[in-house]
Amino acid sequence: MNNLLKVKDLRTYFYTDDGVVKAVDGVEFQVKFGETIGIVGESGCGKSITAMSLIRLIQSPPGKIVSGNIIFDGEDLTQLSDEEIRSIRGNDISMIFQEPMTSLNPVFTSGYQIEEILELHQKLDEDQARKRAIEMIKLIGIPNAERIVDEYPHQLSGGMRQRVMIAMALACQPKMLIADEPTTALDVTIQAQILELMNELKNKMNTSIMLITHDLGVIAEMADHVIVMYSGKVVEDAPIIELFENPRHPYTIGLMASMPSLAKEGQRLETIPGVVPNPLYLPKGCYFHPRCKFATDECKKLQPELREIAPGHKSACFRAEEVTR
Amino acid sequence: MTERNTGIKPDDKIDQEIGEAEQEILTPWKLVRRKFLKRKPSVVALIILAFIILVVALAPIISPYDPNELDMTNTKQPPSKEHILGTDELGRDNFSRVLYGGRVALQVGIFAVIIQVIVGSIIGGIAGYYGGWIDNILMRITEVFMSFPFLPLVITISAVVGVSIPAEHKMYLVMVILGLLSWPGLARMVRGQILSLREQEFVLAAKALGIKNSRIIVRHLIPNTVGYIVVNATLGVASAILQESALSFLGLGVAPPVPTWGNLIQYARDIYNLQHRPWLWIPPGLCIFATVMCINLIGDGLRDAIDPKS
Repeated sequence: MNNLLKVKDLRTYFYTDDGVVKAVDGVEFQVKFGETIGIVGESGCGKSITAMSLIRLIQSPPGKIVSGNIIFDGEDLTQLSDEEIRSIRGNDISMIFQEPMTSLNPVFTSGYQIEEILELHQKLDEDQARKRAIEMIKLIGIPNAERIVDEYPHQLSGGMRQRVMIAMALACQPKMLIADEPTTALDVTIQAQILELMNELKNKMNTSIMLITHDLGVIAEMADHVIVMYSGKVVEDAPIIELFENPRHPYTIGLMASMPSLAKEGQRLETIPGVVPNPLYLPKGCYFHPRCKFATDECKKLQPELREIAPGHKSACFRAEEVTR
Repeated sequence: MTERNTGIKPDDKIDQEIGEAEQEILTPWKLVRRKFLKRKPSVVALIILAFIILVVALAPIISPYDPNELDMTNTKQPPSKEHILGTDELGRDNFSRVLYGGRVALQVGIFAVIIQVIVGSIIGGIAGYYGGWIDNILMRITEVFMSFPFLPLVITISAVVGVSIPAEHKMYLVMVILGLLSWPGLARMVRGQILSLREQEFVLAAKALGIKNSRIIVRHLIPNTVGYIVVNATLGVASAILQESALSFLGLGVAPPVPTWGNLIQYARDIYNLQHRPWLWIPPGLCIFATVMCINLIGDGLRDAIDPKS
């Protein structure tokens, strides 16, 4: 078994006053050791909730993991006690976030924040933790590590803070790093640096990365395998090259068509017509059918299951074999 | 050529200064100190208060007499070389009593505030962090405490509980009463701060990295509100001193023979003393005024220094 993580039929619902929001509705995927998996989709499609469900950080109430198994390294994370899951967070599975400006605590030095994680999970004493923190800061490519450990977040730039965040997340050499839009808030040159750093560290530590983004460019650069989500469901699941060369779901095709391209000059950018459905009032049948130009009567009535249409390539579309770019 | 050189020099100096400034790591407290030192009234107040605290702390060395030493041959003396502020009706040296009274007043103020800060920030922290029904229950309790009429309640408690406590321990009772009744304001403020702080990503990050809830509240969130807590606590010391004086003046606070500024004034509370022996009540009155005034000025200065918007 070479799967680090296997998610089966994960359902996370939010019970709001207006009704039940099925933010994650039957998501299935696997992550292999040392693999980078990309999760793409529009805002509100359940990418972040999927990630938060993995480490059980869903605010409850109103949220709840209704069903499903999250088999991580042979253990079902949904069955663990709060204490057990806490010892996995930061140690085996770490997470970094979108907003580097606020994801470090403003009142502590960057070094202290790395040390705290090490003292907590690896039971290092203060001196060892500090040494290790300095090592980590060197590792993430910040020069002057001895000085940076004693600096406060407000003295660091956005890119540096994101690096420190990565250092915190990787301090205990986790088996998996969840990166929730790690570069969205950074400018383009820094984005490239951070992505490169993540790749480099992934290879050094053999960490699997789960990369959540809405930027197909980032996915193309980083991921080995891609999951496309729409309205809480996985609509397509394929290896990276296969997905880009041979997308088999109208939504994926629409996403790719709406990327600016240098090849086609002087045309309007294509868009997917319509809007993401309100999660409280999802359409009957395939959730995507009101926006889909391939939709048939079948799509309006029945919900397509995710099925394998080629080895390693799954799509949740009745007409997966016919649809192409 | 020479002109150019002189033109360049100041720039070099500025560069060098910037370089040095960068060398120093600016902790949040250094920034606050820097801003605080620019507020002259607060700095003066701090110096005066430091002087008062020093004198009061060194009372056993400075004071010429034991504050409780009776000298029946020497009662009701006006100020003289031997007794700078005269003596009271039992012949005790008034100056010594003012010094020792200051010790009690300051101790009561500080410890009452320590109790207030501990209770207030923990309750506020828990309420703000967990929200929901926990928040609801804690805040309703806070409101109950807030809606008690303060003075009647304090008077009742100290009258009821006070009888079973020996006079020399009454100051501890006053500390506890003042501390346990004045936390609601602080708790509400801390809760408000934490309600907004907990939505920040560093809290999510801390959770995602496996840090316990209790540790997130105590180590990650409350330190972020410490600026507000410090300001509040400073002003709290002033009001605790005033309340202690008021209670002692009413005879319900610190009981004689333990002197405090409040009950020193109470001793002098008759027309004859007020008119003819001002040295008995003006000095403790002035001490209360100066201490409270200084603490309030320091509190204002701290607030300005800590608030990034000012």
